[in-house]
Amino acid sequence: MPPPALTTVRARTLFTPLDTGGRADTVTRRLANAIRLGLLLDGERLPAESQLAGQLGVSTVTLREALATLRTMGLVETRRGRGGGSFVRAPDDADRLERPLRLLSLHELRDIGDHRAAIAGTAARLAAERALVSDVRTLRGHAERLRGATALTDRRRADARLHIEIAATAQSPRLTRAEMDLWSEIGDLVWLPMEGRDVTAAARDHDLLIGAIEARAPERAREIAERHVAAETDRLLDLRLSLHGR
Amino acid sequence: MTVQVTSGPAVLRGGEHLLADITATIGRVMGSVTEVGAAMTALAAAARAGRRPLRRADLAALRPLVAQVLARHRGFAAGAGLVLAPDALADAPRCIDWWWADRGSGPGQLEVDLDPASAEFYDYTTTEWYNEPARTGQPCVAGPYVDYICTHEYTFTVSVPMVDGGRFVGVAGADILAGEVERMLLPRLSLLGRDGRPAVLVSGNGRVIASSTARILPGTVLRSPGTTTAAGRLPWMLISEPEPAAWRRQAKARAAMRRPDSCAPFTGGSLAAHQRISTRKL
Repeated sequence: MPPPALTTVRARTLFTPLDTGGRADTVTRRLANAIRLGLLLDGERLPAESQLAGQLGVSTVTLREALATLRTMGLVETRRGRGGGSFVRAPDDADRLERPLRLLSLHELRDIGDHRAAIAGTAARLAAERALVSDVRTLRGHAERLRGATALTDRRRADARLHIEIAATAQSPRLTRAEMDLWSEIGDLVWLPMEGRDVTAAARDHDLLIGAIEARAPERAREIAERHVAAETDRLLDLRLSLHGR
Repeated sequence: MTVQVTSGPAVLRGGEHLLADITATIGRVMGSVTEVGAAMTALAAAARAGRRPLRRADLAALRPLVAQVLARHRGFAAGAGLVLAPDALADAPRCIDWWWADRGSGPGQLEVDLDPASAEFYDYTTTEWYNEPARTGQPCVAGPYVDYICTHEYTFTVSVPMVDGGRFVGVAGADILAGEVERMLLPRLSLLGRDGRPAVLVSGNGRVIASSTARILPGTVLRSPGTTTAAGRLPWMLISEPEPAAWRRQAKARAAMRRPDSCAPFTGGSLAAHQRISTRKL
């Protein structure tokens, strides 16, 4: 099975359709989350299209659109003929972890970490120099949203959003774009489910970082951001090493 | 928008002209945006009079006006549109009808995630350009800020409140690239600033918009008593300093203090020590 498509925050933010497509997207998200969370089991047959559309309160056209997206994401498989229909294809956690990670060498992972540290560290330092009280409020709002997110994909996106917002607080469109590009590239890796990411440690880092920005302590903010990235990079390096030889 | 000229007598005349010009330029965009807002308000009033619910499809009638804003201010207004208050429309809890300027194939529509349950929920009600007009009932010039939703650049957003029968129904607005504003200001700002006396234009919350010295850069914050000025009426202040070294000394002192909300005055005195020259209404 191919790894799930990397959806960039920017693409999702910019290209989520507003009208009928917005509903299809909501349906896609709901079904995808249900599959990823194991509420819908691997191999399970989805109800007939008209029935499922009725249950979700959308038109069959909208449902078909959502199913087409889920098929390209590899989360649903449609078989024709007798005994056919749409079937759930639950992603195998190990598979989802290993494929993208196996593609990266240790030096590539280290290099991604170096790049992230450079961007996040500088963004944090400049944000601490340039943040207004209202900016700090916005950052806390995003940290809160991340804390409240439970689904893996939601956490990944909320995490990305918080770091992008810090770069925006640095008043730098270039650093902001760099964070967006980095998160679209490595966001899925950072939030890989295996071994579990220490959610509490990440939240503590974020609180400390926002605290340093609020206190206008540029060097402390940079240090915390770099340490935060280093911890995430170390975890990925350990995971990559554990795959070695398997 | 209120613009204050705060300066010593030496830069008085030129400073006034510079502020008058940039105020007029932004005022013209604000005027166009106000037309869009008025049309939307009329639409809401007509729906109310006819006891019809206001729907998202109704907004299509306003798109020619939005396109006109972009055409009229081509090269200056990078985006424009309408943002509706939650529950202003009968068939959409939240709605953004925002367009960016022509990139070869006509205006493009901004699409954002407005589902509050989504991790990528774009909550426009917390933005300065929405919140200030909603709160004060006054037009607003928000920014400069990094707009990673629409322009992806350093941006100002001008916005006007839309009120129907006493009810706030949203804002009409336009995005202006900060680089364009600086391009207009810089030649004359450089003339105003002289050796040892840089001229600096700051927004109401102390963010530097443009400056005649490389030592005080756009996007940085000058923490001053001016930050407490009433919001909604955005005061831009033109500041001329006789002693650039004093700024650096203060920056160091501030860094040493590291108090979250300390507001150091611009120089040894308070802002009141400056001579307030004029106030303009936009």
